[in-house]
Amino acid sequence: MNIQANPDLSIAALSIDSPEGRIVSDISLALGRGRPVTLLGESGSGKSLVAQAIMGNLPPGLHATGRVVFKGTDLLTETPAQRRRRWGRSICLLPQEPWLALDPTMRVLPQVAEIHRFVKEKDAARSNALAKENLAGVSLAHAGALYPFQMSGGMGQRAAIAMAHAADSELLIADEPTKGLDTVLRDSVTARLKREVEAGRLLLTITHDVAVARALGGMIGVMLDGRMVEHAPAEKLLEAPEHAYTKALLAAEPAKWEPQASAASGEVVLAGRGLAKRYDRRSLFSDLDISVAAGEIVSIFGPSGCGKTTLGSILLGLSPPDAGVVERRAGMSPLRFQKLYQDPPAAFAPHQTIRKGLTDLVRLHAKEWTAVERLLDRLRLPETLLDRLPSQVSGGELQRFALLRALLLDPAFLFADEATSRLDPVSQKEVITFLQEIVRETGPAVLFVTHDRDIAENISARAINLDNKGPLETAH
Amino acid sequence: MRNFLVARLLQAGLVATVVGALCFVLMRVLPGDAAMRIAAGRYGPDARIAEAAEKMRLELGLDRPLTAQFLEWIGDVLRLDLGHSLVTGSPVVHELKVQLGASMWLAASALALSLLVGPVIGLFSGLKPGGAIDRLALAGAVIFRAIPPFVLGLILMLVFSKQLGWLPPAGFGSPREMLLPALTLALGLAAMSSRITRNSVAAVAKAPYFAFARYKGLPEAVVVGRHGLRNAAIPVVSYLGLQAVYLVEGVVVVESLFAYPGIGHALVHAVVERDIPMVQGTALVMGLMFVVIAAIVDLLTHWLDPRVRRMA
Repeated sequence: MNIQANPDLSIAALSIDSPEGRIVSDISLALGRGRPVTLLGESGSGKSLVAQAIMGNLPPGLHATGRVVFKGTDLLTETPAQRRRRWGRSICLLPQEPWLALDPTMRVLPQVAEIHRFVKEKDAARSNALAKENLAGVSLAHAGALYPFQMSGGMGQRAAIAMAHAADSELLIADEPTKGLDTVLRDSVTARLKREVEAGRLLLTITHDVAVARALGGMIGVMLDGRMVEHAPAEKLLEAPEHAYTKALLAAEPAKWEPQASAASGEVVLAGRGLAKRYDRRSLFSDLDISVAAGEIVSIFGPSGCGKTTLGSILLGLSPPDAGVVERRAGMSPLRFQKLYQDPPAAFAPHQTIRKGLTDLVRLHAKEWTAVERLLDRLRLPETLLDRLPSQVSGGELQRFALLRALLLDPAFLFADEATSRLDPVSQKEVITFLQEIVRETGPAVLFVTHDRDIAENISARAINLDNKGPLETAH
Repeated sequence: MRNFLVARLLQAGLVATVVGALCFVLMRVLPGDAAMRIAAGRYGPDARIAEAAEKMRLELGLDRPLTAQFLEWIGDVLRLDLGHSLVTGSPVVHELKVQLGASMWLAASALALSLLVGPVIGLFSGLKPGGAIDRLALAGAVIFRAIPPFVLGLILMLVFSKQLGWLPPAGFGSPREMLLPALTLALGLAAMSSRITRNSVAAVAKAPYFAFARYKGLPEAVVVGRHGLRNAAIPVVSYLGLQAVYLVEGVVVVESLFAYPGIGHALVHAVVERDIPMVQGTALVMGLMFVVIAAIVDLLTHWLDPRVRRMA
């Protein structure tokens, strides 16, 4: 491969139109060897559509115009069949949420081996041998015989990287490669992507996580409402952002937050003493003491699978502890112990308008509709959103509706289970800020579970580290 | 695996008891005098029928308390003795052997025919949901599922035997005679299995892993063959177990219609003639067939879907 003066992939004036109108307009960027590009933006900003236009798998009805020149050929002039022949050969995709992208009924090794077998046309024995090497390269040598459902999210992500590596295409498109991963796994995924760049592959990454963009370096494009609002080398953009949205995005990074710990203002609402739980013969935690008082946010943080959610469920009384006791303040209705879920769309009935859901709730618990109106106002949710379906509002808005729904029951204790980890950074910060304000104003006790240590330490006076070595309380 | 077999055996025992008890009760609450019907079945209705019926009652012990009769039957079943037919006098087991064999052939051919039609139509409908094939297949499925088997059988008979003269309308012995009854059952079965296949294929075609298999660069035939078929087959195979219900119920109707000497035909005759041991024996065998079919379907699903293996 000779080094070219021209970039290997250049996109000029790329626009994407739907029958309703233009949804992505005038994107230009260039990728070269050793110079990856990262597109940053929230969901719905059109960054995934740009990746799909390059890949050639735009949803039906969408149409791309402009130029996408890859090694001297304008991809947009190619027929669908020609574009499909590039898949896995010159362009390869690292899917988001690979645990969904892996065939659930096939072991991992054959899923890697089939790339060598059917794309590279090697014989069966050689394909298996190569696939084993690919898996060993991502420290999954022992996992070839596992099915996807037997693997953790991080293992699934590494298996997908092994597949991308096996394809060895010149261009690698990583679509939200760290979505749903905790910080430790996120960093290992970005490190592996960097290795692909160092090996000379072209890399385009789509993400909403500023930390990923920072770690990858190269060029960063910030997208908002289908436009690229800022496009600059990583160091420059991260140090001296120009556009207001970029500034907001960077300020929303948990590490940059102002610590705002609320101190307990009332008596203890919920306490657990000597709690222990085992799962699959592994101890998640033992001899754990925890108490949450009115008006304070206590955080639990730790990697996926460390037992954070389990601890919350034990405190709420949804599952029993192996040892220990949970004490709630006497004389409180169980309705006043509420939970905020991780994935807002999964916590709403999909075919029911938000207004209908809230009306039913108000009627069931004999509340006043004015309480809903007050909360709408408080959480800055426009009333026009009420008549939409949950899928028609953004993740951040929906999570605010979930918060509204929980607050309607006047909770004394609120368990927020990774309630913001699926939101983009700006919405995440917004939701957490509202939560902090509510705690200050009406004083419920909040248990906040997160995999992000920065968030935990910034919003709580007491953050409990629940890694596998056992709980450690950090105070500051 | 061992647990699985034990569970199925227990289920078989439970089915046998429930089916036996139900048959017993139902046969006794049917209106009319059982002894009279049996006498009529054995000697034909003649002038001294009342006398014959009285003899019959004593001979068969029909005047004894019901509980005694039931316990006796259960005891016989436990010794694997299903008794003798009240009409022909030969052992029920012998009669069942012949008829069950014939019915199995019919059911197997119907199932095979339906599998040739249903899943294939379903596959093409599911790959393009809402397309012309899908809509035509939906219309066909609604029609063939809505027509009861006895009407469908009559229509087929009128068309293929009376009008065209291609196939015999009734009888037994060669595949030619089996074709019409098997087709009657197969169309009803295919109507449902084509829709189940269609939905399952459509779901797989929308799944992220199916798209990812394409992004990997695999040729379309490999994508469908390696990642489509097995995943799409799981719900279809599970559903085959439920179709056994339709098949057993269909066999009774279709065999009577085509005068096909199978177990369904035998059951209908036995009910009419109040041949209690025959009814009980036939129903018992049919009930146990359900258990066997369910076990086979379980084993197939187990083999197809690793997630089930984990849970077992």
